[in-house]
Amino acid sequence: MRAAGAALAVLLVAAPLLAATQQEIEEALTCQCGCGLTVHACNHLQCPSAEPMKKEIAEHLARGEDKETIIAAFRERYGEKVLSAPTFHGFNWLAWITPFAAVLSGGVGVALVIRRWTRRGTPPPPTPPPAAANDDLRRRLERELNELDREG
Amino acid sequence: MAEVGRLAICLALLFAAYAVGAAVVGARRRSAAVVRSAEHAAYAAFALVAVATAVLLHALLTHDFSLEYVAAYSSSTLPTRYTVAALWGGQQGSLLFWAFMLTLFTTIVQLQNRERNRVLMPWVTATLMVTAVFFLGLLTFIANPFERLPVPAAEGQDLNPLLQNYWMMIHPPSLYTGYVSASVPFAFAIAALAAGRLGDQWIRTVRRWALFSWAFLTLGNLLGARWAYEVLGWGGYWAWDPVENAAFMPWLVSTAYLHSVMIQEKKDMLRVWNMVLVLLTFTLTIFGTFLTRSGVISSVHSFTQSGLGPYFIGFLAMVIAISLGLVIYRLPELRTHATVESFLSRESAFLFNNLMLVGIAFAVFWGTVFPVLSEWVRGVKITVGPPFFNRVNAPLGVALLFLTGVGPVIAWRRASPRNLWRAFAVPVGAGLVAALALAIARVPFGYAFATFALGCFVLGTVGQEFWRGVRARQAMLRESAPRALTRLVGKNRRRYGGYIIHVGVVAVFVGIAASSAFRIEAQKTLRTGEEMDAGKFRLRYERITTAEDAHVSRLQAIVSVWLDGRQIATLAPEKRFYKKPQQPTTEVAMRSTLGEDLYLVLGSYDPPSGLATILAYVNPLVSWLWIGGIVMAIGTVITMWPSAAERRAPAYELGGARVPAE
Repeated sequence: MRAAGAALAVLLVAAPLLAATQQEIEEALTCQCGCGLTVHACNHLQCPSAEPMKKEIAEHLARGEDKETIIAAFRERYGEKVLSAPTFHGFNWLAWITPFAAVLSGGVGVALVIRRWTRRGTPPPPTPPPAAANDDLRRRLERELNELDREG
Repeated sequence: MAEVGRLAICLALLFAAYAVGAAVVGARRRSAAVVRSAEHAAYAAFALVAVATAVLLHALLTHDFSLEYVAAYSSSTLPTRYTVAALWGGQQGSLLFWAFMLTLFTTIVQLQNRERNRVLMPWVTATLMVTAVFFLGLLTFIANPFERLPVPAAEGQDLNPLLQNYWMMIHPPSLYTGYVSASVPFAFAIAALAAGRLGDQWIRTVRRWALFSWAFLTLGNLLGARWAYEVLGWGGYWAWDPVENAAFMPWLVSTAYLHSVMIQEKKDMLRVWNMVLVLLTFTLTIFGTFLTRSGVISSVHSFTQSGLGPYFIGFLAMVIAISLGLVIYRLPELRTHATVESFLSRESAFLFNNLMLVGIAFAVFWGTVFPVLSEWVRGVKITVGPPFFNRVNAPLGVALLFLTGVGPVIAWRRASPRNLWRAFAVPVGAGLVAALALAIARVPFGYAFATFALGCFVLGTVGQEFWRGVRARQAMLRESAPRALTRLVGKNRRRYGGYIIHVGVVAVFVGIAASSAFRIEAQKTLRTGEEMDAGKFRLRYERITTAEDAHVSRLQAIVSVWLDGRQIATLAPEKRFYKKPQQPTTEVAMRSTLGEDLYLVLGSYDPPSGLATILAYVNPLVSWLWIGGIVMAIGTVITMWPSAAERRAPAYELGGARVPAE
């Protein structure tokens, strides 16, 4: 009884999980009809590529295969171009790492440049005005600041 | 008639080539007469290209199928509006359209500067006309739009059905306008370098052009997204297709320029950087055209592939070589004494904003060309698709949104603790309150969460600026609130127009984040009368209807939409079968509200069994993308509107006797 209950629970949980995996796999693969979209996104009327691929993924999943195995099977057949994003191995690693490396090194560069500029003989920072004594003064300050901005 | 068009293009090429030569000679010999002659030649080139464009348009409208172009891209049953759109729907036509815009802008720039910028103008004319020579050369020798067929066709093959759409009427022209007008700032940058006038005179002259170009790039990108959303029928609006990327990259770099140029205007620093951004924007527009035209990288936009790739590569190489060469040559003069007093200052916030924008542009570029790189290095074809771009750009985009809030309110030079408190207490509070509300509403923590909270932070900065400005005017000038608001914006158009653009940007960000993170999809094959669920909606497939005319036959599924037991709409997703290029297309049916779009696609229909497959997408907050676009457009118009002072401003550079600005 308990076993049956457990099995039912597994089934209940597994159904949406299966659907989620189906979509994940469809999104990891590129449609081969030339549309440039993922298998999941391609909705060409009876697309000769996406439709059979979707069906095949469902069959694989029904047989209890996991995501990696199924994607590997497609990769085996169509080559690496079927994957919708580069893998994290070898040369492809560069695809992922370069943008971040570029932004990071750019960030370091900008930081260094700013530091160099701040160290140049800049005039001493203006002494901050004393805390606004009263509202009139504060208002006047605001107005003049606004005007300054306007001119700039 | 077509021969007139052909002749006009050939003559325009000669005039443009003469304009280049005369402008350069005139500049070197300081001969006003020769420079004027060059300008007149550019006017003539414009007139001739206009004639050629009119001839092609006339041929399209009169269905002259003896012309290869007309026969390939239109038909006698094509509605007139799409017949007009066929002018830019095909290869040769779009090149001609490009040449038309370019010579038109050249004409406008020359007229604007008849008495101004006389030292720069010959180089501006020369640069623009070199570009014109390139395009007119292609039209003359490689891609003749007036090519006759050996035997006139009885009927045209029609425009690609995917292009027969309202948004296609305005998306390419606005993108072209953005692309081509980027040549004007580029031409002034080259002119400044060539003439050695490196102060901010050229920058002030091109301010409106840069904004104009940016605005149309923004519009072009958003209209393209709208077109993809409505026509391609996959439930999304952006697929990181190479050609989308090609339109996005110049936009990013141009956005970076519009920000960093403010620092140059204010503090006369970053001259080299701004120069590079302007040159890069133009280079990317040519690169984009190359991507669309060459077919080097496969794309849904390969409507007009051809062997033009090598010519574009050649032109691109020339542009890069000349730009780089000039920048290096002028480097000593471009250097300025830059000062930044602190990391906590507007200067450094803008520098990091530039880093993010250019970083995203680089990431997009890298992903776009990586398949080609992989094939070179490993000999293996790979795909770099949406999952890559989304994962790489999402964190960078979020960082950029944060800086969108910081940049406009942090103090110049050095932000004191007091200034930071004054500037950020309210916006940070707004962001935190939003984050708390999102957490209570159980919005999962992620990019969408961060985007919403940061969006509120940015809105907080903008709201605070408006509030303080209005209050100050009310207190000082005793104005009513609406009057104070209009005066405030009217007297500081650049500043407050910019804030309004930021509000639009937040709306776009929120729309993208919500529709990416929380979309719901459902698909079901239904018999008449059967129902399915899509998120909170219940859909009933009522019946199928058919309609047919000479041009297209339609198959419509009538679907009633129910919410909480009440019928709220009837939608009719549609399949169309175009007769000339025998091609089926999808016509999406949508119910759009501010909260979400219910987006229906008729997937398939099987007449014997009467079974129809309905795809339903519930895309939250997509409308905010388009609303954001409109807000950005309003902000841009405010920013560009000349102030009373500018309208009164005298032309201060009469007759070439120029007061150097530097």
